[in-house]
Amino acid sequence: MKLIRATVFVLAGLMILPAAWTQEKTQPLPKNLPAYGPLVPFRGPQVVQKRLANGLTLWMVSRAGFPKVSFAVAVRGGMASDPKDRPGLSKLLMDTIDQGTQSKNARQIAEAFQADGGDLTGDAHADFTESMISVLASWASSTLETLSDVLENATFPNSEVALAKRNEADSLRASEAEPSFLANRALAREMFDNHPYSVTSLTQASLAATTPDQLRRAYAMRFRPDRTILVAVGDFDPGPMANAVQKALGGWTTPAGSPAASVPQPVQNNPHGVFLVPRKGSVQTAFRLGAFGPLESSADFEAAEVADAIYGGMFGSRLVNDIREDKGYTYSPGADIQERSEAGVLETRASVRNAVTGASLNEILYQMNRMATTSPTPEELTRAKRYLTGIRAIEYQLQEAVAERLASLWVVGLPPQELGEESSKIQTVTFAEVDQAGRKYFPASRQTIVAVGEQSVIQQQLKPFGLPVHPVE
Amino acid sequence: MKKLNALLLPLVFSSLLVAAPATPPAPEWKVPLAVKTLDNGLTVVVSRDDSAPTFGLCIAYGIGFRLEPKGRTGFAHLFEHMMFEGTPEARKGIFDRVVEGGGGFTNGDTRFDFTEYIESAPVSALNPALWLEADRLKGLDFSVANLNNQRNVVEEEVRDNVLNQPYGSFYWLDLPQKAFNRYPNAHNFYGDFKDLDAANIGDVRKFFETYHAPNNAVLAVVGDVTPEEVFQKAQQYFDSIPRRAVPAKPDVEEAPQKAERCSVEEDKLARVPALAVGYRMPPRTSPDAIVGAVVGEMLQNGQASLLYQALVKRKKVALEVDGGVNWPLGTPFEYGGPTLMTSFIVYPPKVSERDVLTAYDGVIQNLAAHGASQAELQRIRAKMRSDWYAELEIPVERASVISHFTLLDGDPGRVNKIPDEIAQVTSDQIMTFCRKYLVDTNRTIISRVPETLMGKTVNDAKGGRP
Repeated sequence: MKLIRATVFVLAGLMILPAAWTQEKTQPLPKNLPAYGPLVPFRGPQVVQKRLANGLTLWMVSRAGFPKVSFAVAVRGGMASDPKDRPGLSKLLMDTIDQGTQSKNARQIAEAFQADGGDLTGDAHADFTESMISVLASWASSTLETLSDVLENATFPNSEVALAKRNEADSLRASEAEPSFLANRALAREMFDNHPYSVTSLTQASLAATTPDQLRRAYAMRFRPDRTILVAVGDFDPGPMANAVQKALGGWTTPAGSPAASVPQPVQNNPHGVFLVPRKGSVQTAFRLGAFGPLESSADFEAAEVADAIYGGMFGSRLVNDIREDKGYTYSPGADIQERSEAGVLETRASVRNAVTGASLNEILYQMNRMATTSPTPEELTRAKRYLTGIRAIEYQLQEAVAERLASLWVVGLPPQELGEESSKIQTVTFAEVDQAGRKYFPASRQTIVAVGEQSVIQQQLKPFGLPVHPVE
Repeated sequence: MKKLNALLLPLVFSSLLVAAPATPPAPEWKVPLAVKTLDNGLTVVVSRDDSAPTFGLCIAYGIGFRLEPKGRTGFAHLFEHMMFEGTPEARKGIFDRVVEGGGGFTNGDTRFDFTEYIESAPVSALNPALWLEADRLKGLDFSVANLNNQRNVVEEEVRDNVLNQPYGSFYWLDLPQKAFNRYPNAHNFYGDFKDLDAANIGDVRKFFETYHAPNNAVLAVVGDVTPEEVFQKAQQYFDSIPRRAVPAKPDVEEAPQKAERCSVEEDKLARVPALAVGYRMPPRTSPDAIVGAVVGEMLQNGQASLLYQALVKRKKVALEVDGGVNWPLGTPFEYGGPTLMTSFIVYPPKVSERDVLTAYDGVIQNLAAHGASQAELQRIRAKMRSDWYAELEIPVERASVISHFTLLDGDPGRVNKIPDEIAQVTSDQIMTFCRKYLVDTNRTIISRVPETLMGKTVNDAKGGRP
């Protein structure tokens, strides 16, 4: 029960005023409240970079003390590289990659990792697949041996693939009962249309058609050292760790064939309208709003991040203040920028009780337009910048967070120094840059709106907005 | 398979001793602890960690779900929300504005036996954060408008996590209500809406005044701080808050369970069936408790666990298995009253519940009959040590665990003892534990059946339960 605490816009030809719009109340600070101390700048970790002769990229962050090591492995080619008639194949690939190698069965692999204090998790993203494990530092080299076996010698046994297919078919049915799954799937479909980023999950047809051989072929094509990064973070010396990686993965060879195809840039013409996913029995409407935002490598990425924090990224943001702390429409609203290699998406989320479906959308769109048309206050700007910097200092105390972040930087082609530099870039963001990001990315008219819930509720309450409403799956 | 392992093991080990380089021992990692109790009874614990210029802070109060009044289910959690709604000095919004503006975040959690409030930020924000915690222990705003607002927010939280979700959190919300008899252990902890609607500002005031005293709280601070500076600031900000009489902890113990309890719930949103099994556990202070923790993790921690391997892999009767002691609201070491070992199993619509339970019982019976091999014990010790360290990895989580142990046991040092306690657990103890606690008469089963499958699966249910 984590407590995740905590709109006048003008549409063409129609004005809807929020019920009780109040400017963020800037209550005075208590007179005895002690001041902040001097801000200690956040320094990113020292990253030792190596490249093995076979092309494998190795980034290491050595931190003595906490006696664990986290490994993250990212391999280029994810759901966006799956064959068009096999949507979500990468997901099945990651389900089964650790279910057998030439020398070990699934249980032996799981037990080998457990003996080191870990459990391998895998995930398929749009642009890459990722494997993560955290173990006790004493046994990290043993973990590397098992991990390299999985990366190089997976066999995708027929029986394991058959079981994974059957279980994924039921898991997909189970997921389709969840409003968040339906909302994410619909938003990607509507924003990306025919582009491969439109795929976020398996389909029953794809599952039924996929064979073990297809998985083996995708694995052979994608899992190759020149398309892979291994990140190690934790209690080790870089020298011996590099040697252990060389021993475990130095013999991995790159196949002759070409790797997974690269992903084209999507055309950014997402539709402005409401996409309604009917879900019988819903007592809430789950909203997802998406608009194209900056790429992580864009010059205005940090400005957009600051704007997002002011809009909906912090607990003390405008959106949370409005629809939660003022109006009580929702529990856990928020907004962030979701990055893929070739697209950034500014995404807003809120689940609201049926009765306030229209009122909530009104506030959300209002807050977006406010970002697009007015400047933040000095207090908002300072708070957002300090929040985004401080939160990184906190988050990067987690080994896994550092490993995962470094792997994702590599995937989008950014250097490891970015991990420390992003904080200083945030600190230099100006009013003008936030205003510009607000004008560019936040107008409500850019939004693709997904609403999951009771069809009649959504249709009735969204009618006054004058937007096209399309029922979708 | 398990017996085979046990036989092979001595050979494997002796060959290792001769031929292979010695396996390095598990790392030992302990955190420093300094404790001071102020005159008003507030216990302050500090653990220094200068690996990053941040701090994590947790203040835990000895009040949780169990002690919320009858007719006010869900009130402890609603009250937790009210702690963020301002004070006479720092009005609504100030708390988050100051902590976020200092580069950090705040949060709160309500549990069976305590409620905790956390902040984490760069050390430059420590003094204001401590001041704000002291300020809200002096008194709240008690605003009716803010209560009405948070009542709405909490009801949305319940919709978001229960009423609009498949399974509706039944494995932690409904299971204790079926497994226990007495109100403190067996009511709707998230709150019936009629009770949430009935809560008034007088309730908030009374709850605050009854339980929110410095002598019913533990403040833990972890990070780039010295004990001296934290003790001094705690003294400065908290010392003026008077000690108050807090009601003695009532008896919440349950009479022993005599028979298996089974029930079926219809799920209007889920498409795939699930079930939850809950066994009553020994008290935290019992020597059996640590054995329960190990058994819970052997059964359901990850892909190597016994239930995953049997139910998902070998018998192919489940899609997912999760669970443990005090799961999912805490670790197996942080409870202060009747508690369950829970298994949550999602299974294919084509599989009968009876087949799932038969496979499940087979695993339990095998563990009770054969215990754990040396290799299995070594693996689970490594995994639990690794998981325990992860629990303590960042300052705010370390502060949280330290505050719970201090509140429950008066012993923050237990955070440094858990891995060694786990390492002492033997196969014999595991067998004894299973035979004593993991028996049908000590368990409760809830079958959660999608509306569309009602009638089909239920008829399969073991023993034709109602």
